[in-house]
Amino acid sequence: MPHIETAAEELFTVGPLSVTNSMVGAVLATVVLLLIAVLALRGASLVPSRLQLAMELPIEWVAGIVRDAGGSRWRSYVALIIGIFLFVLVANWLGLLPGVGTIGFFASNEEGERVLIPLVRPASADLNFTLGLAIVSFVAFTGIGIRANGILRYLRHLLIADPWWLTPLVTPIHIVSELARLISLSMRLFGNVFAGEILIAIMTALVPIAIPVVFLGLELLFGAVQALVFALLTMAYVILAVAEDDQHAAEPTSDHSSDRSPGPSSVVTSGAHGEA
Amino acid sequence: MPELKFIAAGLAMGLGAIGPGIGLGIAVSRAMEAVGRNPEAYRTMFVPYILGLAFTEAVAIYSVVIAFILIGS
Repeated sequence: MPHIETAAEELFTVGPLSVTNSMVGAVLATVVLLLIAVLALRGASLVPSRLQLAMELPIEWVAGIVRDAGGSRWRSYVALIIGIFLFVLVANWLGLLPGVGTIGFFASNEEGERVLIPLVRPASADLNFTLGLAIVSFVAFTGIGIRANGILRYLRHLLIADPWWLTPLVTPIHIVSELARLISLSMRLFGNVFAGEILIAIMTALVPIAIPVVFLGLELLFGAVQALVFALLTMAYVILAVAEDDQHAAEPTSDHSSDRSPGPSSVVTSGAHGEA
Repeated sequence: MPELKFIAAGLAMGLGAIGPGIGLGIAVSRAMEAVGRNPEAYRTMFVPYILGLAFTEAVAIYSVVIAFILIGS
């Protein structure tokens, strides 16, 4: 049975700081994204090259979702949502490459067993990475809420419940539920990616031929879905924070000024119409 | 007794998957029914559907993480 290590293994130390294999994975994901950005934007024109077109597809899709769901000021945070989505997507998918999690060196851990320490581990399989992203989301939706509504209105909504006499009951629950978003965001991403890693490792150990392909495909799907879910949940929290005030709630307006050609999901509806 | 941690991990995952499993089944069945009645609703429904699935599944993921921590400890 493969050795399961929840915490990321340390590779070497730089002074007092330790460099873990998931940090290598995160740097790798960053480098891949930067490379794609540089290559796609080289000679960017109105008639896009194939790579530019391929990169515009997920960006426009996520931006479309943010535009449809967000308020009138969706442009101020759409870049954060797209950035979170792309970063988590690349970090998740890098865990499926051959060599990630398997190529490493042997060392003895605390219990004295000889275990394999992989050189690269997918970044989102480390709770530090997902917690860091969750903190970014938390600061984002708190900060955008404060900036949109003013700090007094924000604190008033946070600390005083709607019928004011329910405050001693509702306020602790409200505060805890806002803080629990940190935990749920980070644990959801970490649990999904880490469990996927374990699943692939165990399946490969059981049946090394042909069967792990199914689980690699499953992990491809789950990695993409979890990236989308993290980004969309951040967007939902930002929208909730901005629209908090009941009198001046920001209605989700459809800003059609930036409409482009319909996305891929309209193909499904037109297909359904064709059969009717 | 260090062997009990395996029983604990199995119980954690097994019991922790009952609720989310039923919940996900209900959510997906209602979604399929809604799309079946009104295929145009697919585009409107897709994002809240995925969000709802993620929220429900997260509860089962907490159990998985506890199970792994127990096995690895």
